Amino acid sequence: MTKNINENLVAMQRAHGPLLEVKDLAIDFTTDDKRAVHAVRSASFSVYPGQWVAIVGESGSGKSTSAMAVLGLLPGTGHVVGGSIKLDGQELTGLKQKDFDKLRGSRMGLVPQDPMSNLNPVWRIGTQVQESLKANGMDVAHEKRSALAKALAGAEVEVRGKDDETFLGSDKLPALMDAAKTALQEAGVSGEAYDQALAEFERDWVPGSETRWRVADSLVKAGLDEDKAWDIAKRYVTGSTMDDRIAGLLAEAGLPDAATRARQYPHEFSGGMRQRALIAIGLACRPDLLIADEPTSALDVTVQKKILDHLHMLTDELGTAVLFITHDLGLAAERAQHIVVMYKGQVVESGPSLEVLQHPQHPYTKRLVAAAPSLASQRIISAKERGQDAASLMEHHVVGEEKLEKSENIITVEHLTREFKLPRKKEMFKAVDDVSFSVKRGTTLAIVGESGSGKSTVANMVLKLLEPTSGKALYEGKDIASFKGKELLDFRRHVQPVFQNPYGSLDPMYSIFRSIEEPLRIHGIGDKTSRRKRVRELLDMVEMPESVMGRYPNELSGGQRQRIAIARAMALDPDVIVCDEAVSALDVLVQDQVLRLLNDLQAERGLSYLFITHDLAVVRQIADEVVVMQHGKLVEHATTDEVFDHPKMQYTRDLLDAIPGGKLQLGLD
Amino acid sequence: MGKYLLRRILQVIPVVLGTTLLVYALVFALPGDPVKAMFGDKPVNEAVAAQIRAEYNLDKPFIVQYLLFLRNALTLDFGNTFAGQPVIDEIARAFPVTIKLALMAFVFEAIFGVVFGIISGFKKGKWYDTVILIVSLLLISVPTFVTGFLGQYLLGVKWSILPVTAGNNPGFIDLLLPAMVLGSVSMAYIIRLTRAEISSNIAEDYVRTARAKGMSNRSVMLRHVLRNSLIPVVTYLGQDIAALMGGAMISETIFNIHGVGWLTYQSILKGEGNLVVSIVTLLMLIFVVCNLIVDMLYAVLDPRIRYA
Repeated sequence: MTKNINENLVAMQRAHGPLLEVKDLAIDFTTDDKRAVHAVRSASFSVYPGQWVAIVGESGSGKSTSAMAVLGLLPGTGHVVGGSIKLDGQELTGLKQKDFDKLRGSRMGLVPQDPMSNLNPVWRIGTQVQESLKANGMDVAHEKRSALAKALAGAEVEVRGKDDETFLGSDKLPALMDAAKTALQEAGVSGEAYDQALAEFERDWVPGSETRWRVADSLVKAGLDEDKAWDIAKRYVTGSTMDDRIAGLLAEAGLPDAATRARQYPHEFSGGMRQRALIAIGLACRPDLLIADEPTSALDVTVQKKILDHLHMLTDELGTAVLFITHDLGLAAERAQHIVVMYKGQVVESGPSLEVLQHPQHPYTKRLVAAAPSLASQRIISAKERGQDAASLMEHHVVGEEKLEKSENIITVEHLTREFKLPRKKEMFKAVDDVSFSVKRGTTLAIVGESGSGKSTVANMVLKLLEPTSGKALYEGKDIASFKGKELLDFRRHVQPVFQNPYGSLDPMYSIFRSIEEPLRIHGIGDKTSRRKRVRELLDMVEMPESVMGRYPNELSGGQRQRIAIARAMALDPDVIVCDEAVSALDVLVQDQVLRLLNDLQAERGLSYLFITHDLAVVRQIADEVVVMQHGKLVEHATTDEVFDHPKMQYTRDLLDAIPGGKLQLGLD
Repeated sequence: MGKYLLRRILQVIPVVLGTTLLVYALVFALPGDPVKAMFGDKPVNEAVAAQIRAEYNLDKPFIVQYLLFLRNALTLDFGNTFAGQPVIDEIARAFPVTIKLALMAFVFEAIFGVVFGIISGFKKGKWYDTVILIVSLLLISVPTFVTGFLGQYLLGVKWSILPVTAGNNPGFIDLLLPAMVLGSVSMAYIIRLTRAEISSNIAEDYVRTARAKGMSNRSVMLRHVLRNSLIPVVTYLGQDIAALMGGAMISETIFNIHGVGWLTYQSILKGEGNLVVSIVTLLMLIFVVCNLIVDMLYAVLDPRIRYA
């Protein structure tokens, strides 16, 4: 059945021809000294009506640039220097901005990457949706249509087409409900069927979103005959006001309580809600093509899944084609029918999703498949443990055993609780509520949860950056809170943090050498020459060339900076490293490299990690044990395999389901 | 909001006490004896001098003088000048002139500053952008008295377009040149502020999103670039209106306008403690009120700002 539908869809797409056809596209940026930088070279791909096509690649691969060229929104000095972009047969290269204005919004929509910066902070959400409708003349059309609909309401004109876009108004909703109830009773619908029908009406009849034919449709489905249903629909669905339409659009995008929300400002919205508003804006004028530029990369995984599910449902319903840009191959494979892989400005591979995933041809695609965290099936086994260096493996075990005699658990947390005072509220907010676990020496324990689940607060208490309200955090069996003076300095030396944002955790005014050397200097270790030697060793350890010593953080990429942060954490030969979302801000390939590095370091030095993350896919690669937190409470604690194979709690299952591409089968050769 | 306002108003009290004390101390510390100066070239009659000193409390220690001034000020009695005029009358004569001048300067700098800033910001790199930038830099770097004398010489003396000085009870035409000179520096700042705001806002993500909606360039610029860019400009203007009133001293002296600046200058020369402190207190109050209005305005313009 499904196959049939798919075949029909494909046949229909073939018959229509591509909606978007990009051929040999070349885009240049001009530098200050007038040199051309080639951002995109001979890129070709097409999108058929109703199809999801994903462009996958790392940052700087030209994937966003290509998409922006389609919209005519290339930033700064970027310009198309060759090739063609055709939308429904119309050539877009060389169009003036004025002509693009006519296409944008109505024919092509955009859902941008960062929901935080893509809404103007000074306008209400509703106003920003309205702008989209106004810019494309939809507001005028509405009023005309409602006027027309009112004129037709009484007359005996046949209006039963499905193209009729007359929306339900909020003022008519109660009357419609009443009429539907009476009609249903008259038609003899009763009992459970009646309740069910009413519940469906309540859910579906959203003012400003539900159209006349759909109201008629649902009435017919509930058991009314066609004439009666259309009669009711025609009488009560007579067009909506602008405010209704805005609320309807926001509700479609999955924003609860949309009419009230439309009057709020962006800063009163969470990231997920803002992204929903941006989806509403992108789809407001029913474009044929929606360009979604990493629409969820700035969001939590669970939110990410909800939003993509919703976007999928919505675009399927509206028949919108989507050009989906992402750096996560797993996500792309799960969502799109067709994948285009871009690398250094060129399309290196393209084809049906599963095909690309299971039989990657290009070496880069193979690397991407191997690195995609969502697709990796098990814990990384370090090079050493794979038996390449048996001697040091033995050594590691000896080191491990020696320490095991001291105590098995290096960090223990007992009934840890932390409360915060909320402004203007009497009761305290429990950020962490009675959490207990322990980290075994030489292993990795991951704390998983959504933002706001209290996982970072736990990390901060383990690091003694925050004092617990009650409960204890123990290091080597001693209460961390009791450390003072020399003992504290010693503790700081042995427990080191690596934070989420590699841009913020390195001082931009310090050279790389100074950043790594600083902990050595503070703890008074060695003299100038021996410290220099140590920094060199550390850089070697994180696989960075010595030449970076004199450079500054802004001259390094995100992944390189995170390596520097790890080198700094390693400087004092710690026992424990607390990684607070240490890889969340990184590209998949870089993320993979950093995780492997951490893993190798653990094997070599018997380090213990407390790994805080919201991404279960990463957990599978690095952790031995997992603690799942929700609303400050520990909800599940087990080994990684157990959590993945037999999750006990519904919440853990939700988190697991949220991993993009988690259920895809891989055939890596 | 109400609580916030009350707190802000209560904050004025320590500010008033501090400023008056400071200004009083400064006037007290001025070298020279104002009473002796009153006798001019004539020999000083010690008996008369002592009588004048007693009348103006000048024979008492500094802190007593200050407290006496404060007590009288509370009943709105700011004392008399040495010439016997009530201080309040002098101020009542000078303030309207300065308010007129400041308002004209304000309108001038607001209109020309914003207009040139917009032209410059939207047409970055064009030749007129460069010209506007150079002129604004010149206005900022050249002191007001140079701009003042230059304007006076060129427009007043050489081409006789505008009156050279204003004198008593000046009208609109008399104050035109002084207002332009007074507002010129702020105008240059506003040009640069507007230009910088526009060029940074134009690169914002939400501007691209607005374009992606299919909005015309014109409405994107008006609703998303200009609207956001003018928030800091408006707040700057609000604070500047107070600065214009207090900062008119040089312009008023050059153009012989008998406003607050001129009066302050004269009273400092004569050592008229009461007059100086009264004027400064009044200016300070204006400053505080303007600041409060700006903060309120800020909350209206930018929905992210809320006071509690």
